[in-house]
Amino acid sequence: MKERTLSYTLMVPAFLIVLATTLYPLAYSFVTSFREWDLTKQRRPGDFVGIENYVHAASESGFQNSLWVTTIFVVTSVIVTVVLAMSLALLLRREGRLHTFTRIILILPFAMSPALIGVSYRFMFNPEFGVLAKGIGAIFPALEGTPWLASPDLAMAILVITDVWHWTPYMTFMCLGGLASIPRETEEAARIDGASNLRIIFGIILPQMKGVLMVTAVLKTIFALKMFDQVVTLTGGGPGTSTETMAFFIFNVGFKWFDMGYASALAWILTAIMMIISAWYVRMLLSERKMATA
Amino acid sequence: MKKLLTWWGERALLVLISVVVLFPISWMFLTAFKQPRDAYSTSLNFTPTLDNFVTVFSDPWNLGSMVMNSVIVAVVTVAIAVPCASLAAYSFSRFRVRGRKFLFFLILSTQFIPAVVIVLPFFLMFRSLGLLDTRLALIIVNLAIVTPFVIWMIKGFIDAIPTDSEEAAMIDGASRLRVIKDIVLPMAAPGILTSSIFCFILTWNEFLFALILSRRDAVTLPVGLVSFRTERGDLWELMSAAGVMITVPIFIMALLIQKHFTRGMTAGAVK
Repeated sequence: MKERTLSYTLMVPAFLIVLATTLYPLAYSFVTSFREWDLTKQRRPGDFVGIENYVHAASESGFQNSLWVTTIFVVTSVIVTVVLAMSLALLLRREGRLHTFTRIILILPFAMSPALIGVSYRFMFNPEFGVLAKGIGAIFPALEGTPWLASPDLAMAILVITDVWHWTPYMTFMCLGGLASIPRETEEAARIDGASNLRIIFGIILPQMKGVLMVTAVLKTIFALKMFDQVVTLTGGGPGTSTETMAFFIFNVGFKWFDMGYASALAWILTAIMMIISAWYVRMLLSERKMATA
Repeated sequence: MKKLLTWWGERALLVLISVVVLFPISWMFLTAFKQPRDAYSTSLNFTPTLDNFVTVFSDPWNLGSMVMNSVIVAVVTVAIAVPCASLAAYSFSRFRVRGRKFLFFLILSTQFIPAVVIVLPFFLMFRSLGLLDTRLALIIVNLAIVTPFVIWMIKGFIDAIPTDSEEAAMIDGASRLRVIKDIVLPMAAPGILTSSIFCFILTWNEFLFALILSRRDAVTLPVGLVSFRTERGDLWELMSAAGVMITVPIFIMALLIQKHFTRGMTAGAVK
């Protein structure tokens, strides 16, 4: 068999899977986003209504709220995760038994089911018997009995905490990978010259980590935009609509109100946002590689 | 003096990190072995019991059938995705043909599509095909998430294998397929195993698809958690027991491949 034919043949099974499980549904929902389709009334797809679903999105308060909630969630969780991950990486890059132990157990949060993480934090922040709520109350008596998940701001904060807890390990490993690839000579020379640790970190290491940190931040942004599981199991979108992220809102429109046309349009808006950020990510990866080979 | 302080400070921070990581997990494990009345207190002074595990595996919870669903969905997804992805990954790694970059980019970019976008049309299609609430439906949608990811990971592992021995064998007259079977597969085996476990974990923890596409028969473990939220309130001791059932197999797998795990999970992302 000719090499070229073989090359394409090997790709066929995987490509068929991607085609059937991603590209086809995407096209299907794109078409649906221009239709009226209320599943509670119509069994079959309704009429084409042009861009009406998209126009509706522009003025509908539920969607605008979810945009706002998602923005707050993404910005805080990305900043906290990246800063923490970088700090942990600096701490963990040395050798030592405790360092190795910590690196190993860092795998656990990443391997844990996000839905379960939501459940377990909900349990720990229960004001009557949650171990964290009680613990905080014991240290700061003023906070005793705080209804953590019933306050919009605190519920959002806890949602961010669960996400940071889940993703920081992965991002730490990315930063560790980055740290391992930068040359040690400048750092050692500076250390011999008597530069302080802080100077070395901010003056020498962080500038060289800029690329890796950008990649980490963009990747985390993509994951944060997709976040869904903990909203269901931790806050249920509440109190009120204060933690209704875009993914959760689309889920409600589609599977609580069964408005398939509108849900598809919203889903495509989210996809468009993700595609722009992903394109940015891929471009950064490519320029990173160019820098590495240069 | 200052040096000693930094030394202890660093150890203290490491211990703190470990506590932050291990505490929520340990608390769940402890709660799983508590009597209901102890579960609703923060006391550590309790008599451990296996009652919660007995309860979740009997009527009306029937965690056993959820375990079965989770295992079948995850195993079949891995069994389909990994072989297909390995072939594609080899092709992407070794051949320089036209359209390769575009195809690779296309497959990769599907990984960034939010799951909620894919599940809408699948819900509609499965509804008209009568496939809602079946394991087959869950396997099909999980393939969407897992396949691009595994191609990416395995390609990373194959890229790292030097091509010398392959070229030597081909000069000696071995065919490409022979080379793949006898040289590449054995060398890529640890990478493929790591990717399979990754793929298993992703599918095992998958929540959104299962929440929407299953009702009763095909419910998997993560969605099963939600069923312990009853009119009587949340049954934490039972949720914890179910949580232990979800995490133990995954933790064992993750720790077994611990070395490759950290490498594999960041393989494609920065390199």
